[in-house]
Amino acid sequence: MRGLRKRYGDVAVLHGVDLELPAAAVFGLVGLNGSGKTTTIECTLGLQGFQEGEVSVLGHSPAELFRLQGDVVAIFDSPSVPPHLTVRQCLEHARLLCPKPRRGCAEVERLLGIESYAKYRIRQLSLGNRRRVSIAQALLGEPRLILLDEPFNGLDAGGVDLVLELISNLNRETGAGFLLSSHQLPYLEKVCSHVAILHQGRIAAAGALSEMLIDSGSRVALHTTDPEEATHLLELEPCVTLLEGHGTERLHLRLEGWRSDELVAFMVDNGIPVCELTRQRASLDNLFRELTAGGDA
Amino acid sequence: MSNLLAALRLELFLSRYSLAAKIVLLAPALVCLARFLLVWLNQAGRQARAGLIGDDSFALAQAQNAYGHFVDGMNTGLTILALLLVALAAYDFSSERDIGSIRHVLIRRAGRSSIVLAKLLRLHILGVLSLALLGLAAWGGSAAFWDFGPVVEDGFELIGEDEILYEIHLGLLMAVIPLPAVIAFGLLVSVAAQSATQAVTLALGATLAMDIFKALLGERAWYLYATFHPSLLDQSYLREVSRLVRGFSDVLVEDSFFVFNEWIPAVSVLVFTLAALLVAQRRSL
Repeated sequence: MRGLRKRYGDVAVLHGVDLELPAAAVFGLVGLNGSGKTTTIECTLGLQGFQEGEVSVLGHSPAELFRLQGDVVAIFDSPSVPPHLTVRQCLEHARLLCPKPRRGCAEVERLLGIESYAKYRIRQLSLGNRRRVSIAQALLGEPRLILLDEPFNGLDAGGVDLVLELISNLNRETGAGFLLSSHQLPYLEKVCSHVAILHQGRIAAAGALSEMLIDSGSRVALHTTDPEEATHLLELEPCVTLLEGHGTERLHLRLEGWRSDELVAFMVDNGIPVCELTRQRASLDNLFRELTAGGDA
Repeated sequence: MSNLLAALRLELFLSRYSLAAKIVLLAPALVCLARFLLVWLNQAGRQARAGLIGDDSFALAQAQNAYGHFVDGMNTGLTILALLLVALAAYDFSSERDIGSIRHVLIRRAGRSSIVLAKLLRLHILGVLSLALLGLAAWGGSAAFWDFGPVVEDGFELIGEDEILYEIHLGLLMAVIPLPAVIAFGLLVSVAAQSATQAVTLALGATLAMDIFKALLGERAWYLYATFHPSLLDQSYLREVSRLVRGFSDVLVEDSFFVFNEWIPAVSVLVFTLAALLVAQRRSL
């Protein structure tokens, strides 16, 4: 995807998105509400047109994905399944979408834990079980690329674990690539090999997740009883970036070139009391908050 | 072509489990049979009354001829069928877009044009099956309640059965020709509308509006496909046939009416289908 630009009337949503998915990667696309994640996925799938840019999925344009005969499948934000069908009928319908079905309906029902609902109509199911059905539909064939928009919405803890395990297993066993768009950053961190952070219609950061977390530096939380003076002092220090908590007793900092003990020594030398210093694990959540200036994910 | 067939298979699969499709299939025939029953009950009362006062009028005798009832039954069924088809066609694409299920077909199996054409074909298949059931119900029902025969007055045969059958055949053909246009119109509205509710409301509203306004348009109404199929304010040739087979009317329809009846619906189908394909290519799904 290169230079993807999309407008809804006068409102520009994507301002030139460049994105490349490595083969067989589990790629997370994260961003704030309205950052353009769903629009990016829908443009990729040919569901929406766009004004500028190039998109190619497994060598095909978005409008011709159907020619890949099921190599690309998608699971959407809302479970897009006909409500009047039973679970089994729904899967039989999805099987007709697969020229090369790899699994039977009963097998995917077992895989997703919905075998006891086979005769239930979709409209009788909870949101979580509807989502399981839509995921089951995608697993009937042997897709090379699976796009999931908010796959964890409506799932209970067991359902989330199941989906995470399925993603990992499928990726490992069949080499299927995944593009996941979600707000659930801890889940994405568990399963994604690569991540792109979409902010205000642009890619703010992208790459292998492990490298991005290393590059994000060392984070600490500093507890002090003199927050005003501490904030003032730290803002002048180039080895420290104040991330959150300006003027409060708990300051979140990123250290670049300093160790934690060097920070403590610096504060004490300048007469700032340090009550507690906690090292924080580098996480996607922290990285995301940093890059999107503290918005809610 | 293989994409179109795949899309059609998916459509037919959904039809098997769709209540709306079953209603389209059965409702015209059932309404036709219900009409026969009501007319027969009404006639039985009138006959009893006529027997008491010694009335043996021509009208009463002709009320026993099954051909007239067959045509009326077909007319009623076709009116219902046209309304149901336009509503189902309007609901079809738009509801799947509302649910999002159309996206899976688009991504995995068939292009936008194939999806639209498959829906058009599936609606035609439903229409043909419904029409066949309606024909059977109308013929069987009218034969069960009344007797088929020529129009006779004072022992003289006014209209023979061959002529009656010819006119019925012509009337039905003329009434059926506009149905593909009804389907294509509904589908165009479905593709263009923002939601299923909007699509059904718009399609039914426009169909009823055409029905009302065609009476005010005079011969200009001949440029409207809706003029030619049986409807609530019926102007179709089948209405004339209903009177003809009872011996009440000479057919005073101009030849040019038949030409318009044949061509306007065909042109309408083409225009609506092309427009639906064009809109489907451009809109977000």
